[in-house]
Amino acid sequence: MKNYLKLLSTDLFSELKANEELSLGLHSEESEFIRFNKSKVRQNTSVLQHELTLQFQADNKSYKATTMLSLDPKADRVSLQALIDRIREDLALIDESPKVTKMQNHGQSEVYKKSQRPSTHDIVKKINAQFAGSDLAGLYCAGPVRQASLNSTGQFHYFENDHFFFDYSIYDGPRAAKGFYSEDKWDDTAFANQAALLKNTLSLLNKPQIKIKPGTYRTYLAPMAVAEVIQIFNWRAVSRSAFEQGFTPLKKLHSGEQLFSPLFSLTENNELGLNSHFNSQGEISPKNLPVIENGELRNFLINTATAKEYNLVSNNADAGQWNNEAMRSIDVRAGTLNENELLSQLGTGLYLTNLHYINWSDPQAARITGMTRFACFWVENGEIAGPIQDIRFDDTLYNLFGRELINLTKQQSTFINTSTYQKRALGGMKVPGLLLNSMNFTL
Amino acid sequence: MQVTTHANHSADSQRQTAMLQTEFNKYKNSADFVAFKFIKEKTRDYSVRNGKTEDLNEFFDQGLMIEVMINGHIGYGATAELTQDGIKKAFNKARAMTETASRFAVHRFDKNVRPAVSGSFESNRKTKLDKLSLTELFDFLKKTSLALKKSDLIIAAVADAMLIECTQLYFSSAGAHFSQEFDIVVNSMSATASNGKESQTRSLHGGRGNCLQVGAEYFDVDSALQSCEEISAQALELLTAENCPSETCSLILAPDQMLLQIHESIGHPLELDRILGDERNFAGWSFVQPDDFGKLEYGSPMMNVVFDPTVTGQLASYQFDEVGNTAEKKYLIKNGTLMAGLGSLESQARSGISGVANSRSSSWNRAPIDRMANINLEGGKLTLEEMIGKVERGVIMYANRSWSIDDYRRKFQFGCEYGKLIENGKVTKTLKNPNYRGVTVPFWKSLAGLTDPATVETYGSPYCGKGEPSQIIRVGHSSPYALFNNIEIFGGG
Repeated sequence: MKNYLKLLSTDLFSELKANEELSLGLHSEESEFIRFNKSKVRQNTSVLQHELTLQFQADNKSYKATTMLSLDPKADRVSLQALIDRIREDLALIDESPKVTKMQNHGQSEVYKKSQRPSTHDIVKKINAQFAGSDLAGLYCAGPVRQASLNSTGQFHYFENDHFFFDYSIYDGPRAAKGFYSEDKWDDTAFANQAALLKNTLSLLNKPQIKIKPGTYRTYLAPMAVAEVIQIFNWRAVSRSAFEQGFTPLKKLHSGEQLFSPLFSLTENNELGLNSHFNSQGEISPKNLPVIENGELRNFLINTATAKEYNLVSNNADAGQWNNEAMRSIDVRAGTLNENELLSQLGTGLYLTNLHYINWSDPQAARITGMTRFACFWVENGEIAGPIQDIRFDDTLYNLFGRELINLTKQQSTFINTSTYQKRALGGMKVPGLLLNSMNFTL
Repeated sequence: MQVTTHANHSADSQRQTAMLQTEFNKYKNSADFVAFKFIKEKTRDYSVRNGKTEDLNEFFDQGLMIEVMINGHIGYGATAELTQDGIKKAFNKARAMTETASRFAVHRFDKNVRPAVSGSFESNRKTKLDKLSLTELFDFLKKTSLALKKSDLIIAAVADAMLIECTQLYFSSAGAHFSQEFDIVVNSMSATASNGKESQTRSLHGGRGNCLQVGAEYFDVDSALQSCEEISAQALELLTAENCPSETCSLILAPDQMLLQIHESIGHPLELDRILGDERNFAGWSFVQPDDFGKLEYGSPMMNVVFDPTVTGQLASYQFDEVGNTAEKKYLIKNGTLMAGLGSLESQARSGISGVANSRSSSWNRAPIDRMANINLEGGKLTLEEMIGKVERGVIMYANRSWSIDDYRRKFQFGCEYGKLIENGKVTKTLKNPNYRGVTVPFWKSLAGLTDPATVETYGSPYCGKGEPSQIIRVGHSSPYALFNNIEIFGGG
C-alpha cells in the first residue's frame, strides 16, 4: 500500500500548476468482523477498503474529496486526475475561504505495529469454547489499519497498526456484565482469567434488583463508566472553533469563574501509542497537551484553520465530528485511591461499572444526562447489597469533576477506540475510576 | 458539458455492471447461495458560515458486498478492489470465514430469506441532483447564510447542504436482479445568538432533521429566505427568554421533535434483531418481549404507527430492502396495540414474529441488519388551535437538540431548541432550554390528542446508528403535533 501510494502521488503531484497544492490522506483496512449472539456467530464480515482523501488548494480556496481506491493503478490514476480537473474548474467560480492555510512539509516517517494473535478462525473457536455455557453478545474485530498523509511539498507519513479487540458482554436473563479484551499479544490464560472474573461478576447480579429513588447519592464510577463520561468532552466542549461559535460548556472554566477539582487533569497524550503520530494534515501531534490541569483549563484544541481564523496558535489538533476539534488519545490522571479500598471508601452508595447514551442536557451549564448500564450495584456500609434497576443521572461537569470529586483510583484502564462507523477508528483513552461525594439521579 | 459528463457516466456504469455480472457468474455456484450487491454513492456536503466558505467536501464511495451461504449460515465479504483479483480475494475470504463460522452459527436459514425478485426503483424528482453545480449550490448557501445573520448578536449563521446520489445493484444465484437509485437532500440552517453571557442556537427543524428524497427543485431560495428570517429572529428571542419551568403539565411536541420521540421510543424498541439479543452489547436490547405482539397496549387508542417505504419522497422510501424483500406499508401499532415488529426475513425466521422489508445496510462494507425505514405516526382530528385551546397549562416544544434513552428503550430524556408556554388555552411566552423526560409505554398512553393529517410534517435523520460493526442508516419520520398529559418538564441551569 505504501508503494502504491507513492507511485500514485508522484503522478498526481507532477500535474499540479504553480499556484496549486494537493494533499492525500489514506485510510485503508483489511478487517475481519465476527459478530456474536448467544455465544454463537450471528454474522461474519471481511472488509477490504482503501479511502483516499484529496485536499486540493489554489488561490485561498480549498476542496476536500474522498474516494475509494480500487488498486487498479490505471483506473485509479485516471479517476483521480479527472476528479482534480473537475475540482479545479469548479473552485475557480467559488469565493475564497478565510480558513485556508498554505500546506507545509511536516516531514517523513513510517511506523508499523502488529499484535500477535491466532487466526480469526482459531479465535472463533476459542471464544466459543470459553463461553459455550454462557449467553454472550459482542464483536471480535481484527486486521491492519493503515493511515498516511502526503502532500505536494514532499511530506510523507505512514502508520500501520495490525491489532484486534474483543468487545463483549455476558448475560443471565436481563442481568449483564461487560468485558473487553485487547492486547499486543493474545494470551489464552489472560483471556480465560478475564472470562472467569466476568462470570463471577454476573453471579453477583443474581439477587433481587434494588430500585433507587431519584436523588443524590455517593457514587463510584468504574473506569468504563468514566470513559463514557469523558467522551462528552469530545462533543465540541474542548474545541476552540466550537467555543468561538457559541458552544460554551467550559465558559466558566475558561474565564476562571468556576474551576474543576485540583485532583482532575485531562491530557491529550499521544505517547499512549493508540493512534497515528500525525493528524489528518500530516502535522505531528504534540506528545502531551494538557487540556485541563489541576482543575484549570490550559488549552482548547486548536487546529490550523481555527488558528488562522481567530489569530491563535495551533496545537495541531485534528477535526473530529462535524469538523470541530476533538482529542484522539485521552489520559485522565490517576489518583491515590487503591482499588481494594473502593468499597470501604464508598461506604453507602452506588457502584456503577458502565454508563450509556450520554448527551448534553444543557450545554451552556455543562449539564449532561445518561443512564446506568450493565453491572451496577447498591453498596451498604462497604458491602455490595445487590444490583440496581437502571436509573438516569443528570448532573454537571462542574459537579462531577469539581466540587463532588473525592478521589480517583491509582489504577487506570486503557480502552482503545472501538468505533467502526464507516471505518475503524484509532485512538482511545486511559482513565481511572472516580469516587464522588454526590451524583444526581432523576428517573 | 453536463450532458457529455452524464453520457460518460452512463457508459462507465454499463461497463462496470457488465464486469460485475461476468465476475458473479464465476462464483454463483461456489456456495449454497451467492449474491453480489454493488453500491455507488456520491455525497456532496457544502457549508457556508457568516456568508463565507466554510467547508466543501465530497465523498465518492463504491464497493461490492458478496453474500455467501454455507450450511444455512450467511457470511459476507466486502471489497473496494473492483478488479478480478480483488473480487476473487474477497470471495475466498468470505467463503473461508463463513465455512468456519457456520459450525457455530446462531441460526440456520434457508434460501427463503433471499427472494428472487427483479425490478427497479428511482426517487421521484423533477430534476436529478447531478444537474446542480457547485456554483448554484454555493449561491444558495451564501444567500441563506447571510440572511440568517440578521444581527451582530448572531455570531454563527450556518447554511449547509448535503446531496446524496446513490445507486444499488443486486443479483443472486436464486435469480434476483434489482436496482434502485436515490437522490437525497439534507438541508440545515442554523443561527447561534450570543449576548456575551449566554448563547442559544435555533435551526431549521433541529440539526439535520430536514431530509428528503428529492431533486434539484428543492433549492427554492425565496422559500428558504423566509425560514431564515424566522430562525434568526427566534435565536435572538431565546437570549432573553425565561427558562422552561420545572413541573408536571401538558406537553405538545411539534413534528420536528416527534421525529426523535418516534425514532427512539417506537422505532428502536421494535427492531426484532434487538429483541432477539443481537444488539445487547452495543445499541442495546428492548423492553418488548416476543409475546407482546398482538397484545401489548403500547399507547393511547389514537396511536397508529406505520412502517412505510412506499411513501413518495420520504428519506427511506424504496421498493426492495437490500436482500430483495419487496417493501409494503404495514401497521406496527394499530389503535394503540402492538401488531408487528421491524424484522427482516432473517429475524422473522428466527423469531416467528410478523415483520417487514427492512434488511438494510449503510453501504457496501456492512452486512444488512434490521433497520427502521420510514416510521410514521398517523394524524388525528384536531387543528393546532384546537389542541392548544385544550391546554390549561403546558408547553409546546420545537426541534430536537438532545436525546438519551436507556438500553431497553424505556427511560428517555429529550431537549429541544425552542418552547412556548401555554396558559389557559393560549400561547403566551417563549421559553429556552425546554427539556422533558418519561418512560416509553406510560408516555404513549398519556397521548391525548393529535392534529389532523393536513398538519403532518415529514422529517428524518441521516444518522441512525446501530450494529456491530457499527453503521448509520437514513430513516424518515412523519408526524402531526401531539399532545401528552402529565409530563415532567424542566429547563436548563
